[in-house]
Amino acid sequence: MSPIGSSGRVAQAGRPDGALAGEAAVDGRGPASKSPRVRNGRRAERLAPYVLVAPAVLIIVVLRLWPLGLGVNFSFTGDGERNGATVGFDNYAELIDDPLFRTALRNVGWLVLLLPVAVAIPGLLATFIYLRVPGHQIFRSVYFFPAVLSPVIIGAIFNLLLAFDGPLNAVLGGSGLGPVDWLGDPDVAMFTVVGVHIWATSGMALVVFLAGFSTLDPALLDAARVDGASLARMIWHVIIPGLSRTIQFVVVTTMIGMLTSMFGLLYVMTSGGPEGSTYLPEYYIWVQQGQMSSPALASAASTVLFLVMLVVGLLQVGLLRRAGRED
Amino acid sequence: MSRLGPSRWLVAVPMTLLALATIYPLLFTANVAMKTRREYVLDRFSLASTLRWDNLSTAWNSDGMGRYFLNSVIVVACAVALLLLIGSMAGFALAQVRFRGSSTLTLVCLAALFIPFQVIMVPLARIMADGGLIDTYPGLVLAYVAQFLPFTVFLLTSYYRAVPTELVDAARIDGNTLYGVYRRIMLPMGAPALLSVGILDALFCWNDVLISLLMMPSADHRTLMVGITSLRGQYSADIPTFAAGVLIAGLPVLVTYLFLQRQIADGVTAGATKG
Amino acid sequence: MKQRTLWSAILVAGLVALAGCGSASDPDSAPGGSKGKLVVWDWKSGDATASSYVKKAKADFAQQHPGVTVEFVAQPFEQYYTLLGAAIQAGKGPDVMLFNGGGQIRDRADSLLPLDEYVRDDKKRLAGWEAFTKDNKTYAAPVTLQGHPIYYNKSLYRKAGLDPEQPATSWDEFVADCRTITKATGARCFAQGNKEGIGIQFFLSGLGSGVLSPKEYDDWIAGRRDWSSPAVERIFALWKEADDEGLNNDGANSTAMFNDAFAVFQSNKAAHVIGLMSDVGHWKDFAEFLDADDVGVMKAPVVTAGATPRLPYDGGIGYAVAKWTKDPEVAADLVRSLTSPDALKSFHADAGAIAADRTVDVSSAGPAVATIVSEIDRGKPALHVALSSKTVDLMGRLSQQLLSGSVTVDSAVEQLAASDRAG
Repeated sequence: MSPIGSSGRVAQAGRPDGALAGEAAVDGRGPASKSPRVRNGRRAERLAPYVLVAPAVLIIVVLRLWPLGLGVNFSFTGDGERNGATVGFDNYAELIDDPLFRTALRNVGWLVLLLPVAVAIPGLLATFIYLRVPGHQIFRSVYFFPAVLSPVIIGAIFNLLLAFDGPLNAVLGGSGLGPVDWLGDPDVAMFTVVGVHIWATSGMALVVFLAGFSTLDPALLDAARVDGASLARMIWHVIIPGLSRTIQFVVVTTMIGMLTSMFGLLYVMTSGGPEGSTYLPEYYIWVQQGQMSSPALASAASTVLFLVMLVVGLLQVGLLRRAGRED
Repeated sequence: MSRLGPSRWLVAVPMTLLALATIYPLLFTANVAMKTRREYVLDRFSLASTLRWDNLSTAWNSDGMGRYFLNSVIVVACAVALLLLIGSMAGFALAQVRFRGSSTLTLVCLAALFIPFQVIMVPLARIMADGGLIDTYPGLVLAYVAQFLPFTVFLLTSYYRAVPTELVDAARIDGNTLYGVYRRIMLPMGAPALLSVGILDALFCWNDVLISLLMMPSADHRTLMVGITSLRGQYSADIPTFAAGVLIAGLPVLVTYLFLQRQIADGVTAGATKG
Repeated sequence: MKQRTLWSAILVAGLVALAGCGSASDPDSAPGGSKGKLVVWDWKSGDATASSYVKKAKADFAQQHPGVTVEFVAQPFEQYYTLLGAAIQAGKGPDVMLFNGGGQIRDRADSLLPLDEYVRDDKKRLAGWEAFTKDNKTYAAPVTLQGHPIYYNKSLYRKAGLDPEQPATSWDEFVADCRTITKATGARCFAQGNKEGIGIQFFLSGLGSGVLSPKEYDDWIAGRRDWSSPAVERIFALWKEADDEGLNNDGANSTAMFNDAFAVFQSNKAAHVIGLMSDVGHWKDFAEFLDADDVGVMKAPVVTAGATPRLPYDGGIGYAVAKWTKDPEVAADLVRSLTSPDALKSFHADAGAIAADRTVDVSSAGPAVATIVSEIDRGKPALHVALSSKTVDLMGRLSQQLLSGSVTVDSAVEQLAASDRAG
């Protein structure tokens, strides 16, 4: 079964039952298992799960995995004057040589490292809202707002707000801190974009966290407070264990969001710059495909990106699953 | 009553600032949409001098915007309905039924989750063109379904996994087939999850630009977000009109959210929160 | 009963797919290809300012081919070349398409039809063909000319006590004038936007003719680029110096050329900007905010003795014909209609462009245009347009590094030389 989202307990509890259900289907243990009609029914029952899964799998295979395969195939052909010719691993060699692509991969690493922050922020906010910070009802509605805006729009707005002569720097300058070139400093820009991404998506995670809190037993928290536990201890000993499943869920969805859908923001906010410091593989692919007119090189980059994603994703899922088993 | 104790004001202040930071961009957009181009270029942050609706009407009246709006509604509605149907069938089967190959199939869906659209963009366009699906509504619907199905299956699988299997067993003892269990128990029971996943899918589809551009090259087949994006020319000269377009596209989403807020909050991936 | 619901559901899914296949046979739904209909892709025809241009071009074409319908599809520019690439690969591209001159069209010449035999009669009337030419074959007919005049704000000159009609002719004078202006008005010398690496392109082309000797300039355009020449190095050193000495507005690396840098110029915060001739960031745009009479155009200040300043310009945008179009002759006629004198006249007037047609009357467009047009005859192709897309892209990144100080001029020029040789 899917390793995702199944804490050990649920998976283990679920599996025998699931197996039972499956066997019931296979064996067709029904009251009148002898009649031919039921035998037909048995075959139908055996096929039933496949029928249920078939449309989804069909669509995914034909329209997601098959194009991926075509792309891999295409990545071994040439561009420009060598259009159509087989070139072996030349495109991959070119990728490795391209400092821009290496930067793009390094930025993927940054994203993975920043993942905990992206999860902790909505988690903390949800905790405070759950603990009824004054105004929690308003916060609850307001924090979700950005989730309804498309990345292109969010990027366009933040471009203005974070401009060198924009309002944020005006505030910073007024308070005595120097201005920061949010989108023009290669050491800062990537974090700026990630920050905006977190801003844009944490509303969704926040809502998930709040839903998780609604299943938490308030008596536990009250008991902790009577014992005089600090907020930090409460979070560590009561909330995190109590929400382990929610946290896992948010980690996985946030990771997928960060690894696959930052393109819109990057495109609008930095176009990969300054100095190529905010390149991500998706953006690299886009540029090679369009501006540079090198579709085969883009395919090779696509293949590498998919492999990286898969490895990172499965590793993370595996880690979470193990963490889930332990508690 | 706050459960935070005296420190609550310490927390409330930064949270209020954050809330303001969250609302400000929206207000900013609305403000820009009220400005003339001249006002905008000379000072983009000052308040618009008057409430001016010209930009909104310009954006709305620019070629075919009404048509684009309708296109978006049709395509998003079809895509979301299909996503929920196909996704819930698969989610239920993968979560609750044990059958040979189920873990492989789950892995297939999971792997597809990690494919950014840019990666398959060009081959997908070719497949769609070979199938004659380019520039057709079903083609775009199918492209959306393909794009968001892995996510939908993933969410619904984890939702259904939290449903106690006793329910299924009991239903089967009552003589229900697997289809019956799906239709009579799982579909109604999944309503909160379906609603919230549906809203997410609808948001994704509604806000998409790239897939729609790729699948629908003709002008009159465009979706609203593409229409809005096209308001920006090569050098995006007329920002106030663009901002007005953004408002037009964002408003239905925002209104929907305000109406369904409770359900979203209660329902988003209810499966992820049990235990 | 229960199964019926499920099966009907699956049926619906199947039908959707089928319906898709069904509509494949509908010829009108596919872009491009069908006889009796031409599909045109561009990023212009959707603009309100281009509507009379499109109308006139269509009318002109309808006279010659009354039975052929033309569909214009305006794409968002940002996605234009990626969509075009995808459409070309999927074999579903348009019949006629708009291109920027230079690298973009040369990289895609394989998919385009050489137009030489069709546009022979237009060769004299229109200017800017070189930007659409590769290996002596012409792939598009120019609609506009694009170039990089140096605009200056005469009212700031006046406020600083300088003669607005006598802008500096040498670099040292120019810098001295800038200092005077900054002292008197607080305005910087250059409005500079290098966020996308565009600033350096404009800088290189706008000032290049004042640095390179005429021979070096011509060699550069002809493809014999000597990157080790001191003059070439001087341009990039100048780029860095200008920023170091505070000639640019702050944060050039995070200021977008479009439209932030132009907004700086329009709001009197900088005295000069290297802008464009057509589309935007030009006389028409500036005149909307500054008085049209206050927008001046100056020659590049001379940096190296012996250099002859010239207006850098090329063909701006032009329409090309796809190789796969069913009836090339009809498609080429559409391109000719799109560049007909009448159509181009409206394009100049409404969209604010220097049309490729030299016969279009521009006398009503203000003094800046008059200066630009008078310089066209002596003008030369722009330096950056001669470079490949890859090199231009690299130059954008290196120029940002130059400003932030993370690369030296020597190393930047070396890397550019290597990229230029490779591509």
